Amino acid sequence: MPESLVSFIQVLRTRDVRISPAETLDATNVLAVLGWSDRARLRDGLGMALAKTPEEEAIFNQCFDQFFARQLADFSDSSENEPAIEEEDSSAGDDPTGVDSDSSRAELPSPLEQAAAADPALQAVVDSPLVQALMNNDSNTLSLAMSKAGERAGLQNIQMFTQKGQFTRRILEAMGEEQLRSAVIELEKANSPAQAQLQRYRDILRQQVRDYVEAQYLLHAEGKTRQFMEEVLSKTRLSNIEHSYLHRVHELVRKMARKLAARHSRKRREYRRGHLDMPRTMRRGVVNDGLMFDVYWRRTRREKPQILAICDVSGSVAAYAKFLLLFLYSLQDVLPRVRSFAFSSHLGEVSDLFEQHPVEKAIELVNWKYGGATDYGTALGDFASLALDDINSNTTVIILGDARNNRGDPRLDILQSIYQRSRQVIWLNPESRIAWGTGDSEMLRYQSACHFAAECNNLKQLERIIDQLLKSTR
Amino acid sequence: MHTQDFPQLTSVQVIKDGFESFGYICSDKIATAVYLAFKLRKPVLVEGPPGVGKTELAKTMAQLLDTPLIRLQCYEGLDEAKALYEWKYGKQLLYTQVLKEKLGDLLHGAQGLAESVQRLHQFGDIFYSEEFLEPRPLLKAMQQERGAILLIDEVDKSDYEFESLLLEILSDYQVSIPEIGTIKARSAPMVFLTSNNTREISDALKRRCLHLYIPFPTVELEERIVRSRVPDVDERLRHQLVEFVHSLRQLDLKKVPAISETIDWARSLLLLHTDKLDEELVRMTLNVLLKFEDDIEATDGEIVQLVRQATES
Repeated sequence: MPESLVSFIQVLRTRDVRISPAETLDATNVLAVLGWSDRARLRDGLGMALAKTPEEEAIFNQCFDQFFARQLADFSDSSENEPAIEEEDSSAGDDPTGVDSDSSRAELPSPLEQAAAADPALQAVVDSPLVQALMNNDSNTLSLAMSKAGERAGLQNIQMFTQKGQFTRRILEAMGEEQLRSAVIELEKANSPAQAQLQRYRDILRQQVRDYVEAQYLLHAEGKTRQFMEEVLSKTRLSNIEHSYLHRVHELVRKMARKLAARHSRKRREYRRGHLDMPRTMRRGVVNDGLMFDVYWRRTRREKPQILAICDVSGSVAAYAKFLLLFLYSLQDVLPRVRSFAFSSHLGEVSDLFEQHPVEKAIELVNWKYGGATDYGTALGDFASLALDDINSNTTVIILGDARNNRGDPRLDILQSIYQRSRQVIWLNPESRIAWGTGDSEMLRYQSACHFAAECNNLKQLERIIDQLLKSTR
Repeated sequence: MHTQDFPQLTSVQVIKDGFESFGYICSDKIATAVYLAFKLRKPVLVEGPPGVGKTELAKTMAQLLDTPLIRLQCYEGLDEAKALYEWKYGKQLLYTQVLKEKLGDLLHGAQGLAESVQRLHQFGDIFYSEEFLEPRPLLKAMQQERGAILLIDEVDKSDYEFESLLLEILSDYQVSIPEIGTIKARSAPMVFLTSNNTREISDALKRRCLHLYIPFPTVELEERIVRSRVPDVDERLRHQLVEFVHSLRQLDLKKVPAISETIDWARSLLLLHTDKLDEELVRMTLNVLLKFEDDIEATDGEIVQLVRQATES
């Protein structure tokens, strides 16, 4: 399997294109069938094997162009049986891998050649493939040498922009730039006219390598940096995430929600028809001489699960409420009926806002409408008068709040009656477990009337809890 | 299916030309997909907006190879009894009734129950043999001697369970029937699945397929398509009408006109003996292109502008 293809697939994976080993094999087969000769066709073909949605295809096309822009020379080398390179932009028809010696150079010997003729050490430098390639403007040989040196230096592992200088130096070394440099210094000492020419070649080389490293950095590091960011963001306390990262978090929440939705939507459908009701089928068959013409299905009763989310949107918890709601409403395909309530001092139903506005907008409106100082007692009272009658054994109640009641009456009795009527009561508290019950926190008392209470302050925890929720609401 | 059998599929260019001779103008990408599907023996999942020729691709393929086209239209609730195979219950019942009398003869002279059962066992599972199997499209495609084109249309309309049912067929070209065993395809069919993306297709299914996305064609390609389908349309008019349709696709419409609508429109303009677009004409024939009253109303104000653009370019 060609190594460049494997590392190309690595790059795609860092950019969220999911590629299984089986698809990697497909891509190899595609390559074997189509060959390297027609670039556009290869791009189409590999795209069909690797990218499976229009979005993935867009990413694929972009990466393909970036990745194979330079590497085409490398490929021709690895397939030894096909020495001919049919690169689109190869200007001259000559064989670019073979470094032809003197033919292409003009009859007039340049100052460099004159100097080289006089000095055997310099002649050796000039005769090296690297300098020859530079002199003949042979970009194929050069980029081939460059990508090989890059591979040896481990350039595909580049992660930070600070590493660029380091990799540039390593590649230059591997390509034999040192010789060139010392030759330039020698010539400078001798004050030779050939110095300028050699100096220029060296500058070209450096520039080329720098460009190459830059391109590779963009290709490899960008995806990795993003993965790293997402990893970090999902573990950071939600209230600590800086405003500038919020849009990333929103994306991340959507991604998580999609994942959960995919995992849980499938199972819901299985139960629709139910199982064969054998006794009944046989009983009905008796009249037909025991032949079971009519079959009966034991239908599973379609339960209508309902979720009531109660969110504290006072200053201290607002950030968390936002993400819980974002999560719940991103899951609307899977979670059948979500009703949401928001409170600080008094409570109100906000489901309508989510129906009328996009999720982000609705959340802002909720914050604006219900923000203030917390009073759990009143809020629970309001909730009871609004929705207590709707709670039955299929209802899951999620409460998000820090349970800090400013020393008011906690009205535990209301929570208890919710607890008794509902299928489950889940309390999510953004404070860490150690802080529960300290100061004016009523968490320990409230906890007694919950089926499940959990600490929830970053996306990872939130995702885990919602996953459980989805499992249990069916 | 081997390359030798199908000289129509030896290279991407040959495929393209072959398709063109049947009036299906395709891009390089589509031809590449067909070529790869054939070479790698892989199904192709074709996605794209409605009316870009997804189903037509499979039909043309069948014409090109002169093989039967077996089509399975998916819908919600489609199950294996309708897609794969079913036992001929009626025939089974009828035969058991008819053969009841025969049983007496057969068992005549048998000593005791054990021996009778022994004798019955000699007949094997007569009622669950291929004789009593009613092949549905998927199984039918496997049974074709000379291979077939299997078109699984609008797979996104089916349920998730049905997708899992497809997996065995798509990766190994075989079907497992509990009573009989595994039936392998006599000659692997070429499979095309189409999807309009009303829901996500599962990863497992996508993994087994080559993925071909057919977008709306470019102006140039669409003109060639119109020329091949409606050859009598004047060249200038053809260019104008294609340009016009393309600018329509840029608007926010409920349903943008697809290639099939472009062709219909070209035909209607031909019937009206026109040689160039004008505002009045477009207004009268717009219902060929747009199928929603809202869309027609929304476009009404723009027509003057759009017609001018199309006629000037």
